Formats: sequence, C-alpha cells, structure tokens
Amino acid sequence: MQDKLSELIQYLKSRNVDYADCRFERKESESTSVTDSKVDSAFRQINMGVGIRVIANGAWGFAASASLRPTELIKTANRAIQIAKASAITKKESLRFANQEVFKDYYKSPCKIDPFTVSSDEKINQMVKICDILKDSPKVKSSEASMTFYKMKKMFYSTEGAEIVQDIVESGADCSVVAYDGKEAQKRSFPNSLGGNYGTAGYEFVKGIDFVGNAERIREEAVQLLNAEPCPDTETTIIVCGPQMALQVHESCGHPIELDRVLGTEISLAGGSFMTIDKFKKLKYGSDIVNITADATIPMALGSFGYDDEGVKAQRTPIIKKGKFVGYLTSRETAPIINQRSNGTMRADGWNNIPLIRMTNINLEPGSWELDDLIADTKNGIFFDINKSWSIDDKRLNFQFGVEAAWEIKNGKLGKMYKNALYTGITPEFWNSCDAICNKKHWKVWGIPNCGKGEPMQTAHVAHGTAPTRFRNIKVGVSK
Amino acid sequence: MIGEKKLFSKLEKVLARSKADETEIIYFGDMNCLTRFANSYIHQNISVKNSLIYFRVVKDKRVGVASTNSIRELDLKQTLENALEIARQQPEKPDFPGLPKPQKYKTVLTFDEYTASFTPKQRAMKVKQIIRKSSEKNFTLAGAFSSGFGEIAVVNSHGLKAYQPVTFASTNMVVMSDDSSGYASDTSRNVADLDFDNMANRAIEKCFRSQNPIEIKPGKYEVILEPAAVAEILEWLNYIGLGSKPFQQQMSFLSGKIGKKITSGKISIYDDGYKLNGVPFPFDFEGVPKKKVMFIDKGVANGVVYDSVAAAKDKTKSTGHAVTPNYAHEGASGLNIYMAPGKKSLKNMIADVKKGILVTRFHYINGFIDTRNSVLTGMTRDGTFLVEDGEIKNGIKNLRFTDSMMSAFKTTQSLSKETGRVSSWWSALGCMTVPAVHLKKFNFSGKTDF
Repeated sequence: MQDKLSELIQYLKSRNVDYADCRFERKESESTSVTDSKVDSAFRQINMGVGIRVIANGAWGFAASASLRPTELIKTANRAIQIAKASAITKKESLRFANQEVFKDYYKSPCKIDPFTVSSDEKINQMVKICDILKDSPKVKSSEASMTFYKMKKMFYSTEGAEIVQDIVESGADCSVVAYDGKEAQKRSFPNSLGGNYGTAGYEFVKGIDFVGNAERIREEAVQLLNAEPCPDTETTIIVCGPQMALQVHESCGHPIELDRVLGTEISLAGGSFMTIDKFKKLKYGSDIVNITADATIPMALGSFGYDDEGVKAQRTPIIKKGKFVGYLTSRETAPIINQRSNGTMRADGWNNIPLIRMTNINLEPGSWELDDLIADTKNGIFFDINKSWSIDDKRLNFQFGVEAAWEIKNGKLGKMYKNALYTGITPEFWNSCDAICNKKHWKVWGIPNCGKGEPMQTAHVAHGTAPTRFRNIKVGVSK
Repeated sequence: MIGEKKLFSKLEKVLARSKADETEIIYFGDMNCLTRFANSYIHQNISVKNSLIYFRVVKDKRVGVASTNSIRELDLKQTLENALEIARQQPEKPDFPGLPKPQKYKTVLTFDEYTASFTPKQRAMKVKQIIRKSSEKNFTLAGAFSSGFGEIAVVNSHGLKAYQPVTFASTNMVVMSDDSSGYASDTSRNVADLDFDNMANRAIEKCFRSQNPIEIKPGKYEVILEPAAVAEILEWLNYIGLGSKPFQQQMSFLSGKIGKKITSGKISIYDDGYKLNGVPFPFDFEGVPKKKVMFIDKGVANGVVYDSVAAAKDKTKSTGHAVTPNYAHEGASGLNIYMAPGKKSLKNMIADVKKGILVTRFHYINGFIDTRNSVLTGMTRDGTFLVEDGEIKNGIKNLRFTDSMMSAFKTTQSLSKETGRVSSWWSALGCMTVPAVHLKKFNFSGKTDF
C-alpha cells in the first residue's frame, strides 16, 4: 500500500497542486453485546480506503474511495482537484498553511493482549457473568454488557515528503441495568454511561475494569432510584464525580477551544464558541486552581496517538493555566491566525472523512484533596454521579447536565439518594466557582468513544483526565 | 452505480456459496458529495465513494454478523466466512425468528438523474448565489449543501430480493449579523426541489428581524415551534420512545400507555416509508416492506416500530423498520417520520398569539433526563422572537427549555397546514416531515447571554 501512496503523491505533484496528502486507513472492529445473559449481537467489520486532500487554486478539495485499484486512486485524485477548483469559485483569499516539520516515522500504540486474538468464549462468558449479577433482582427489567475493539492501520503521505505509518488498538466495555416497578424505570451504568470506558490499549484494558465487583452495587442503586426523591430545585454546593467531570470538561472546555469552531467553520451545525480570539490570553476562565491541558501523549488514553492526520506529532499543550485561558486546539490552517504552529489535533473519522480539529486528552489537572476530606468539608450540597443527559448552547455558555444518581451531602456526609438530578450554569461563572479538586489518587482518564462533530457527522475517540471536583452556588434540580 | 441486475448477480453468487442454514446480504453503496461554507466562502468540499456489505448468517441457531466495504469477490467470500466463524463461536439463540421470507414491494420513485449527475461546480454556483444574497445585506453565511446517489439491496437465502436506487439532496444555511442569525433548510430526493433563493430570503429575514435581541425571563410561555424545531424534538422522541427497544425496556413514554390519551387530539405522529412529500424509502435492512405505523393517533398512544427479532419477542410482526445489523441491538427505528399537519397558515397561527415566543430551531436537545415522561432539554438558536398581539415584535436572546413533551403537546392549539422536510443523519433513507406547532404552555428553564 505504501508504494501505491508514493505513486499517488508523485501523480499529484505532476498535476501541480499547491499541496496534497493521501491517507490510507484500514479499520477492523469487533463489537459484542449481551442482554439478559444472552448474546444480543456479535459483529465484526473491516473498512478500508484512501482519502485524498488537495489544495488547488488556493482552496480545499477532498475525495475518497474504497477501491484501492491504481486507476481508481488516480480518478479519486482527479476528483479531489476538480472539487478544490470548484471551492475556489467562492474563495476570498488563498488559504495559509503553517510550516511543519516533516516526519518519516512509525508509531505503535501500547497493546499487551491483542483483543482480536482473545476467544469469543472468554469475552461472552465475562459479559454473561456480569449480566447474571445485574439481573438478580425481581425489579430488574433488563441488563446489558458490551465490549468493543478496534485495530487501525494508518498511513499518511504528503507532497511535502511525510511518510508516517501508525498501528493503533483501542478497547472498551460497559454494562448497565434498568430497574422497573410498574411505574418508574431507572438506569445505572458502569464504569461510565455513553458506552463505558475506552482506552488506546489491548484486552488488558477491559480486564482491568472491575465489572464483577461493581455489578451488584449498580443493580441495587438502580432499584433504590425507583423510590428516590427527585432532586430539589435550589442553589447549592455540588461535588461532581470523575466521569461526569469528564463530560463537563468535554462540553464546556474541550469543544469551545477548537480553533476551527472559534473561527466559525462549524457554526451551522455544532455552533461557535464564546472563547473568541479577543479573549485569548485574557479571559479568566476559571478559579486559580483550575489547570487544563491538552495531552495526546498519555499512554493508554483514548485521545492519544503518534501523529495527527496532518502529520503533526502528538503534543502536550496548556489550555487553562491558574484559571487563565492560554491555549487553543489548532491545525495547520488555523494556527497561523494566532501566530502559532499546529499543536497536532487534526483527526478524521476514517479514510472517508476530512480531518477536523478534535479533542485529544483534555485534562483537568489534579488538585490536593482526598475525596473523604472534600465531602467532610462540605456542610450542605449534592454529589453528582455519572452522566445521563447533556446539553449546551451553540457558543458553549449555558449548559445543563443530568446524572443517573445523586446524593445529598449533609454536615459533611453523604445522605439520601436523588433521582433525575440536574445541574446547570454558565461556563466561566461555573469554573470560577470551583474551589476544590481531588488529588492524583482520585484522578483517572475517561475515554469517550462518541464525540460528534462535522458534517457529515464524524465520531472521534477522545478522553479526559479528571478527579471529583467541588463548585459553589450552583443551580440544581431544574427539571420542570 | 452497479445496477439491479449486476448487483443481484454478484450477491447471489456469494449467497450460493454459503454453508449457513440461513444467509442474508445487505449492500449499501453511495457517492456522497458535500459542500460546506462558512464566513461566506466554501471551506470544506468532499466527495466520498463507498459501499458497505453486511452478512448475517444463521448456523445451528447461532447468529453471526460481519461486514466489509470491499466489493471484490474475494473480500465478499472472506467476509461471509468471517460471519460464519463468528456464528460458530456464539451460544445458540433459540428466540431467533429466522430471516424474512420473500416479500412484495410497491413501486416508489426515489432516484432522479439530474440529482445523480450534479457536479461540484453546480453546487459551488448555488452556494455563490446565496452568499451574494446574504452579502448584499452585509450578513455572513454558513451552512452545507449535499447531493449524492446510491443503491441499496437486500438478498437472503429464502429468495428475498429487494433493490432500490436513491438520490438525495439537502441544504441548511445560517445567515448571521453581529448579534443575530436566521436559519433555513430543506431536503429532497430531487435537487431541483431545493429553492435556494426562497431559503436564503427566509434566513436573511430572520437574521434581520432578530437584530438587537432583548432579554426575557425564563418561565412558561405560549410558543410557536417552526418545523425545524418540531423535527429536532421528534428526532429525540423517536430515539427514546418510538422504537422497539425503549418500549420493551419500559423506558419509552409509550410503555404501558398504548390505547391511552397522552397528548391533545390534534397530534398524530407516524412513520410512512411510501409517502412522497417526504424522502421515501420502501423497505428496511431485512428487506421487509415498510408499514405505516401510527405512534400517536389523534392524541392516543398507538404503537412502535419493530424489526423481526423485536417483533418475535412481542409476538407481533415486523413493521419493516430494521436498522443495519451492526446497530441491531439498538432495536428498530423509524426513518420516515411525519406529524400530521393542521389547517391554519403559520401567519394565522402567529396572529392567534397574545404574548408568546416563536422558535425557529433548537440546538443540542437531549432526551435522557426522564424518558418515561418524555422530558427534553435544549437551547433555541438562529431566530427566536417575542410575539405580542399577534405580531413578531423583537428578536430575543436564546433560552433553554426543559419540559415533558407529552405534557406540552397536551396544550396544542393548532398546527400549520404548511410542512417542512428536515433532514437528519439518515438523509439517504428518510427525513422528518412536520408542520409548525402552536403550544399554549412550554417551559423555558434558563437563558444564555446571546
């Protein structure tokens, strides 16, 4: 395949394009789900092709094809050039593309146990065992467990001379239980909702999740939720647990720092950002203890890789430093606008999509608190567990999150459980009310395998390192 | 395009080699072209040619699914072997009802030559036309315009054979000033149906009229939801309540309520794959013809859509709403969803409002808060207006709504006779076709700064 890409690059050079890159990707995926201890679906997919991105007449064109025949690849390259020339019909100025170090390299993500070599029996038996525990109550309506694995071969060649090959393996799993009493239905998930937890790692990642040790707990919590009180409508102190903090960081920091979004290129669908360029290095985004970094180099984290889909090496970049907004996620096209070089965040959802600026691992750096001390230090408040619902406005200011379960905090202790709990806020007000973050011991990276952006919609695999975090004077329980 | 005859021949050749008890092959190939624009120029422009081929096999009551995107005979044979291998590794599924038997299909036109041959230059010229219109008002423009073609085939070892060629075209546009914006969109099987001038005029007018927005307090208001807003609500209601899985899990707002009145009698919501004023498609990914399914019939909860597996569980028949096998565990889903229109014009509906809010569109709706009570939340965007004494007065800053939609639909005053077609992520297969809805009470729970 590398020879075909080299020939394709030579052809594109002969067509005198301003720039071109060719990206081959082969993605093998396997997904198995078990419902009520029976296999619900078992699916394996192989998907491959080549995407060709071209700058001609100062504008972009992209064409992609599943066929790898040399004649088809040439046709696809010609289509990309034709499209770029059509794009140029509306151009205001030729696009600028930041200089970039050119790499010839190979990267392999960490993987101890290739998940595609583990027998179906082993995977299914584990999921059945989890479901057996989850369904062991007359109040349980359904129980589910699933595992998903990806194996990707990526090749990136450019007219600048880049030749990068990457092998990446990702693994993830989840389980959930629905309790029902004839009137009410409530769901609990583990280790996270929205597909569970994922890592750029092999089967060892899934083996490291203690499903069996937590299945009984979430089953009982789902049953308890049937009789739980609704979350009261009030303004109070909240402690947000790690996985919910991951989504909080994702929606209220990760998306608004994408420089393409800031510049308006996603406005019609996903929206814009309040973190506009005039606020860069000026905005007090959060309190002094808030430090957020974009770090694509964390081993086994789902947002880690060797090189992005523009051939830029993975990096660690400060985003929020002592509460101040200091960094964007950038690309080769957007970085020059803030007089920087790309920090390597352009990723595409497969060969058949163009790369967009995507989150890597956007992490809220740990603080100094023990969780027990943090709860004990909170006189009155609510503890919010993992996510159930999420919504945020198109500039990423007004957000509302719902969780599967919440608990009252009274005189420094966890009390009764609340159902259908929500909290809401305005992003910078919320982060400036942050007064405590738990320490490294409670800090964990949460892989999110379904971050949507772009048109047609692309799904990115990203992650967030977080620990339980406290915020003051937050509006909660606003369901009606 | 491979074409019906050649495609059937190719798939049946592979089918004949299968050693499974039952075998199904689904083919979905397309050329999807999309031109995106922002800041009044084209910034992304793509053309993707791809195909997906799914094999579902049943061997000794064990089911396996595998897929490839290569149509080379060698890869098809290998994928069939992969599906068999997966099936061999599974425990038995005694509840599996078997693959569908051969079906009869009504003819429905879903392909348009002009749309199939639409070029990147033609798309760029349409975009240029609407950029010029918005620039004349000193507004900027963003949006997307897609067109494409494809073909879908389903064959199985019982002799079932279904084939349908399709074309699709969609556009959406946001016209923006410094403090306001306006939105318009449309979708069709035929690119000539998309009236770019008309859409641009509507979006420009909304942008113009919503300048200098005033702030209003959250609370319960009378509202008129335009078709794009109604469609976004229906998209979520479909996801959390109109398919077989949430219904069977008792998580749907229809669970336990069939036969009961749950909204105003003015509300009817249904799925119809054959209706021509939407984006029709005649069969599902098991090759079963789509039946018209009433979800809510004149306010009364009526039913949900099924695939063959979910139907067997509820001892009923498939309604023809199976999704592709990789998403089968999510249950059946409606893709051609309609809300029955009313008799009033949108203009007359606005004239009926003493004090209320007109919503063009919602952003980032989420419906997982309390699915049994159909509680949704989301933000308004791109044209939110205060209506007083039957007239649009001012643009207002955007608001968050949080409300039970079945409760809100109980307060339905009227529906517009005009309907809008609103595309979703499944635009090759269907869309939402809905009117504007006038509700007496709708809960806005929060506000934002713009």
